[in-house]
Formats: sequence, C-alpha cells, structure tokens
Amino acid sequence: MFASILDIIIDGLFMGGIYALLAMGLSLQYGVARVLNVSHGEFIMVGAFLTLALHTGLGMNPILTLVIIGPIIFIVGYLLHRTLFSALLKSSPSTEVFEGKSLLATFGLLFIIQNVAVLIWGSATRSYSYLASPVEIAGAITSLNRMVTLGITIAIGLAFYIFLARSRMGKAIRAAAQDPATAGIMGVNINNVLALCFGFGLLMAGIAGVLYSMCFGFYTTMGLGFTIIAIIVVVLGGLGSIPGSFIGGFILGIVGQITNTFEAELTLAAYYFIFIVLLLVRPKGIMGK
Amino acid sequence: MLKVNKVDTFYGKSQALWDVSLDIKEAEIVALIGANGAGKTTLLNTISGVLVPTSGTVEFIGQKIDGMAPHRIVGMGLSHIPEGRRLFVEMSVRENLEMGAYSSRAWKHRAETFEQVYKIFPILKERAGQLARTLSGGEQQMLAMGRGLMSRPKLCMFDEPSYGLAPRLLREVFEAIKSLREQGITILLIEQNVRNTLDISDRAYVLENGRIALEGKSQDLLKKELIKKSYLGL
Repeated sequence: MFASILDIIIDGLFMGGIYALLAMGLSLQYGVARVLNVSHGEFIMVGAFLTLALHTGLGMNPILTLVIIGPIIFIVGYLLHRTLFSALLKSSPSTEVFEGKSLLATFGLLFIIQNVAVLIWGSATRSYSYLASPVEIAGAITSLNRMVTLGITIAIGLAFYIFLARSRMGKAIRAAAQDPATAGIMGVNINNVLALCFGFGLLMAGIAGVLYSMCFGFYTTMGLGFTIIAIIVVVLGGLGSIPGSFIGGFILGIVGQITNTFEAELTLAAYYFIFIVLLLVRPKGIMGK
Repeated sequence: MLKVNKVDTFYGKSQALWDVSLDIKEAEIVALIGANGAGKTTLLNTISGVLVPTSGTVEFIGQKIDGMAPHRIVGMGLSHIPEGRRLFVEMSVRENLEMGAYSSRAWKHRAETFEQVYKIFPILKERAGQLARTLSGGEQQMLAMGRGLMSRPKLCMFDEPSYGLAPRLLREVFEAIKSLREQGITILLIEQNVRNTLDISDRAYVLENGRIALEGKSQDLLKKELIKKSYLGL
C-alpha cells in the first residue's frame, strides 16, 4: 500500500511537471500578452514529433534536441506575435476586442498546425524508447526518463522564476503584465516584451513536448487535450501568476494520477471537478490576488 | 524645448483635441489647466506617445516625436508621470523605481539616480522593500514622482500629482516640483488646484473642450475674469 501511494505521488509529480511547464507557457501568453492561445497544446505535439524526427532520423539524443527545437519554437512564437498578434492588437480598440480576435486567430492556428502535422506524420500513435530503464525509489518503481523529465521541469520552473524576479527583462515582463501602457511610458518596448512572452510561452510547450515524447506515445491530434489541461491549471493557479501555474500543474498531475489509479476513464472528469470546486471556493485561484 | 504644433487627436472615433499648440522653453514651469474632460490628459498622452495625433506635429529638443513609440520618447528624456499614479502595485518600491530607469541611458546611471531620488523622498528608501500597494496615498504619489525622475528626464510632465492628497502633502508635492526646476528640469504640470498651480508656474495654458482657450503668463492669468470665475470661484 505504501509503495503504491509513493508510486502515485512520483508519477503524479512527473505528469505535474509537464502540466506545470505547459501552464506556465499559457500563463505568459494569456496573463501578459492577453492571447488565450488554444493552439498552445499543438506545440507539445510539434515538440514531440520534432524530437522523434531528430532522434530516429539523425540519431540525436532526445534531451539534446532541446537545443535545436527550443530556439526554433521560440522564434516561431516571437514572429507569430510580431506579425499576426501585434497587427490584431493595433486594429483593436480595446483589450476585450483584442482577446476575442486573438482567440479566433489561435483557433485558426490550431487547425492549420494540426492538419499540416497529419499530412506530414499521419495519425498513428508514435513512440521511441529512451532511458526507459526502471528506477526504484523507496520501493516505488518508475523509469529513468520520468525522473529526468521531472528534474528538467523543476529546473526550468525555478530558473524562469528567478529570471522574472531578478532580471531587468523579467521585471519588465511583470510590469507589462500589470499595466502595459505604463510600462511603455517607463521605457519598456511593449511590442517586444509581448512577443518575447508569446515566444517563451510556446517554448515551454515545445520543451514539454520533447520531454513527453521520451516517456509516452504521441499522435498528431493530441494537442487540444493538453490545451484544456493548461487552461484548467492556469485558472487553478490564479490567472497571470507564474508560480501559481507551476504549483497548480503539480496539483493537477497528482489528482490525475490518483484518479487514474482507480478509474482511468474519469481522469478528465476529475480535472473539471477540481476546477469547478476551485472556482466556487477560491475563484481567483491558488496564487490569485 | 517642447513644441506641440496644431495637434488633432482622436479617442477611437471621437475627437478629443482640436488644433492644439503649446510651446515650452527650457527650465520653465508651464501649467495646463481646464475642467475634467477638457483634454489635458489626452494632450499629455499625445506628447508621450501613448496616443498618436491624426494631424499636427510634436517636437522635443528639435526632434519630431509624434508617431514615435513611448519607450523611445522617454529614452530621449521626456518623462510622463501619469494620472492616478499607475504604480506597479504588485512590485516593490525599489522595483518600481528600477522600472522608471528602464531605458538604457538611465539604466547605466541608476545607482546614482537612486541616491538623488532617495534624497528628495527619504521615505522611499525606508520603504524600498515593501510592495507598492502597501504604501499610503501620499507615499504612493511620492513613488510615482520618484519613478518618473528615475529616467533622468530633461522634461517632466505631471498629471494631477496632488490628486487625493491631504493639504499638508499637497504643499510638499508643490515644493518638490519647484525644487526640480531649480535642478534644471523643465516641467509641464496639470492640476485641479488652479490657484497653487498658477502661483508656482511661469506660464499657463487653459484647455476648454479640447481647444486652447487662453494662454499667457500665470500672474496675468490670475487677474483674468474667465479664470477667476471658472477656476478660482471668485
């Protein structure tokens, strides 16, 4: 019994790490750049398939693919904002109008990315084996790739938190999240900061995709499920709170794992249950103000 | 130093400024007065680049700045201390001041500017680690002014710095503004408090319904019937 509880916690933390990355990414896009990006989950899929291509095609170590896939996805995100979203922002009389327009635009992105992915990679579930050797922690059995994934997600979460808290750019991002117009008259290049946030957001989904592919099978239409999870975690953690998204990701990971142990079919229902209870009890989220 | 020339500005579809011209020379204190909704804040937003005029030009130290992004305008030394303070309330006092020094020219000298601002507003040094939202109204106003000074401005635009302050603090704010001018900073001041504002300013413009209705030396304006009736309640 004790071992199985530990099993649940360890695997819950591992899934939680993936969710945390995904949600921090969405939080940057929605909390700062005000884009509720429903194509967010597509980038976990793209990250996974690019890793597969580099690993099986070129024989690259999946973890090392981060060095190539990370910058590519970041640049895609940055340019998407500099072109599409900044044009929408310019043509919108208010934030509300912009949010509506950009939501529709990301639906478009979702379908474009998914359809192109199906054309290239088909619709079968794909996987590869990497660091799959079992690891025993105090009687609980997990795998090395899951432990590596957990380690990397925690390291990225902490590093990003320190970046936001300490660096000049991190402070500009926090200021822009609170009041973009005032950040602008303080000397912050707002268009640049918003595009950076969008790029960082997609980057986190991409990293989650690389890590996810080491541990699970993946397929081209899996993105939307992850977007929904990311939205739940962002609200759970408190809209716009990066630490909230990080903690919320781990909470949802563990809840998912508990449900999964008893009745796998109910996992998504359990996520929504937590979500609704939280909206009733603490509508502003765990770290919301 | 600052030349606003025949500017028209729109808020969405409604026009807020008509043919507004204004001229500020170095080391002057110029006041901008007018009723609520007369267009004072719109004019400051047009100067600082938050709004772009549909016609007319804005020039600062000989350079055309209309259409320029706000972060580049503050980088040139034109600081805008906005209405309602607009602090970053979830950031500390120190971080708010750092944000004021964000443009690269000011960032390099920020250690020195911190000392100068702490000298003018010692309370900010005491409160440096506190979140901005925990400050009292007066302290928040000092932080807003201090943050505006962190950009090492040549010209400062204050939008109702006395708003919501007790009379004792009000005098402090006006004293601080006067001392800035003594340090060579040019000032454009919006105030509801017309009597005090005309007392400390050299010249003033009166905005009515988005148009300049009157301009002149502040001492002369104090004697005008329109000012007496509409703004001083005499």
